[in-house]
Amino acid sequence: MNRNNFWIHFSVAVVLITFAAILGQIRHLRSTLLSSPTASKSVPKPTAIKRSADEKEPEILVKLRSGVSLAEIRKAVEKNNDRIEDKLENVKGWISIDDLDNRSGKEVADQYKRMIDLITEAEPNLKIELDPIESSSLSDSLLPKSPPSEISPNDPMFSEQWALNNVGQNGGKAKADLAALKAWVKTQGSSDVVVAVLDSGVDYTHPDLVSNMWLRPDTVPAYKDDELGSFDDSHGFNAAENGSDPMDDNGHGTHCAGIVGAEGNNDEGVAGINWNVQIMPLKFMGRGGFGTTKDAIEAINYAIDRKRAGVNVKVINASWGSMLYSKALEDAIRAAGEQGILFVAAAGNNSTNNDKRPHYPSNYDLPNVISVAALDRSDELASFSNFGIKTVHVAAPGREILSTWLNDQYREASGTSMATPYVAGVAALILANEPKLSMENLRERVLKSVDSLDSLDGKIKSGGRINAEKALGN
Amino acid sequence: MSFNKDNVTQKAKADLAKRLNITESEIKTASVSETDFPDMSLGAPEKDEMAAQMISTGWRINLNAKGKNYEYRADKYQLRLFGFKGTNHVVES
Repeated sequence: MNRNNFWIHFSVAVVLITFAAILGQIRHLRSTLLSSPTASKSVPKPTAIKRSADEKEPEILVKLRSGVSLAEIRKAVEKNNDRIEDKLENVKGWISIDDLDNRSGKEVADQYKRMIDLITEAEPNLKIELDPIESSSLSDSLLPKSPPSEISPNDPMFSEQWALNNVGQNGGKAKADLAALKAWVKTQGSSDVVVAVLDSGVDYTHPDLVSNMWLRPDTVPAYKDDELGSFDDSHGFNAAENGSDPMDDNGHGTHCAGIVGAEGNNDEGVAGINWNVQIMPLKFMGRGGFGTTKDAIEAINYAIDRKRAGVNVKVINASWGSMLYSKALEDAIRAAGEQGILFVAAAGNNSTNNDKRPHYPSNYDLPNVISVAALDRSDELASFSNFGIKTVHVAAPGREILSTWLNDQYREASGTSMATPYVAGVAALILANEPKLSMENLRERVLKSVDSLDSLDGKIKSGGRINAEKALGN
Repeated sequence: MSFNKDNVTQKAKADLAKRLNITESEIKTASVSETDFPDMSLGAPEKDEMAAQMISTGWRINLNAKGKNYEYRADKYQLRLFGFKGTNHVVES
C-alpha cells in the first residue's frame, strides 16, 4: 500500500466508524425513550411480550427502602435463589433482580412486595415493543408527549364502582364521583402510607387485599401492653379478644379496607381509591359488628404506640359510632391527633341532625376529626345519612358501594360506614403525593377541595363531596 | 350460632317470658317483618356500645303480653330487646 492509498483507506475507515457510532447512539436513544415508564396516551401502546428461552432478561425491578444497603438486599435475594442483575444508575434506589427458578415476573414481584422491611416497590420488568400499526410513526413518538388526562384500572368489577367513575350506570348521575381516574394520573397511592382500619378486623388473606396489608416490619418490636403483656402483632391488633389476630369475622371491616385500598390494576375484583397502600387492621368489633368503647380506645392506643415505634400510621378510619359521649374515647382520639394521625369518622345513619342529636366519635370537636356524610349515585344526600351544618364536614359516596367481603367475595353495602373510607382513602392518596404534609394541612386540604353540591347546601359544613383530583392539587 | 326468622322469634318469646315471669303460651306474636336497620346494633345499642354504621337487614319481632307490646330486633348473628324499661338489651349474640 503506497502512502496515498493508506490515507484514503484511513479516512474512509474513520468516516465509517463515526457513522456507526452515531447510528448506535440513535438506537440507544430510541430504545431509552420507548422504555420510559411514563404513561402517555399518544405514545405507541406498550405491549408486554414473553421472554424467549435464549433471551434472558431480569424478571423484576425493585426499589429499596431508604437506608437499605446493597449487601442487605443481596443477602435476601440470594435466600430467594435469585440474583441482583444490575443497579439502575440515575434511578436512585432501584435494582433489577433475576429469578433463577423460571417463575413469572408477576410472581416474583409479588414475593418481593411482601418484603416491606427492605423494599418499597416491586414490578415485573416488562419488555416493551411498539404496536405494529403505530410503529411507523416512530419519529413522532420521540417527541415529548403530554401526560394522559385519565388512567383506568383493569379490575374486572371496576365498571360497577360508580363512586370512582360514575358514567350514569344503574340510573346514576354521570360525574357524581370522586374523579378517581384523573387523580390516578398524579398518584395511585404509596405503600409508604399506613391507614389503620379500626373495625371488625380485616380478612388479610383476601386476594384483592393481601398485597396491600400492613405487616409489622422486623425493625419494629412486638407490641407490649402494660396490663395484657406482649402480642405477636404481625398482622395488626385485636382488642376485642385481647389477641393478636385481627382476622375479620363480620365482613364490615374487610369492606371498608377494600374501599381504602383494594389492590388496583391487578386483574382482580375491584380497585381501592389507593391501588397501593398499607392497611393496618385494628379489630375491636366482633362477629355482630359492634364493640365497646374500651376496646376502641385500646386499639387507638395501639396505633399511637406503633406510630411512636416508627410505623407511618397517618390515618385511622372509624366507620362506627353511637350517641354515647365518652371523654376517654375523646381523649384517645386527641392523643392520636397529637401524634399526627387523622381520624375519619362516620356521621351515622339515623337521618338526623348531628348538631342537635350528637353522634360520636364523629362529633368530637377535635382538630384531627373529619365527620363524613353519605351520598347516593346521583349526588343526593343518602336518605339514611346524618347531617349537620356545624358538625358534619364532608360527604362521599355511601350507597350501593361494591367492595371486598369475607371468603374472597365482593358485596354491595350502604351506610356512612362506606363513605368514611373514601375520605380516609383520599387522605392517604394525598399523603402518597405529599408525604411531609402535616395532619392539620391534610385535613384542611380534604375539606377545601370538595365539589360544592346544591343537595348539601345548608346540610354540612363544606357543602360538598370530596374530589380526589382536586385534593391532590395542581 | 346463626339465627333465622323462626328460631329467633322463638328465642324472643322465651326471653320475654323469663323477664315477665310468665309462660310462653301467654305471649302472642303480633308481627315479624324483614327490616333495614341503621347500623349493626340494629338501632338498639346497649350503653357503652359502638356499632358499625352499615345498613343491616334483619327482623323486627313484635310480641304482645298482658296487653303490652314488646319489640325485639334480630339478624343472623344477634337478638336484641329494644327499649325495655327504657333500655336496650343484647339477648344473645
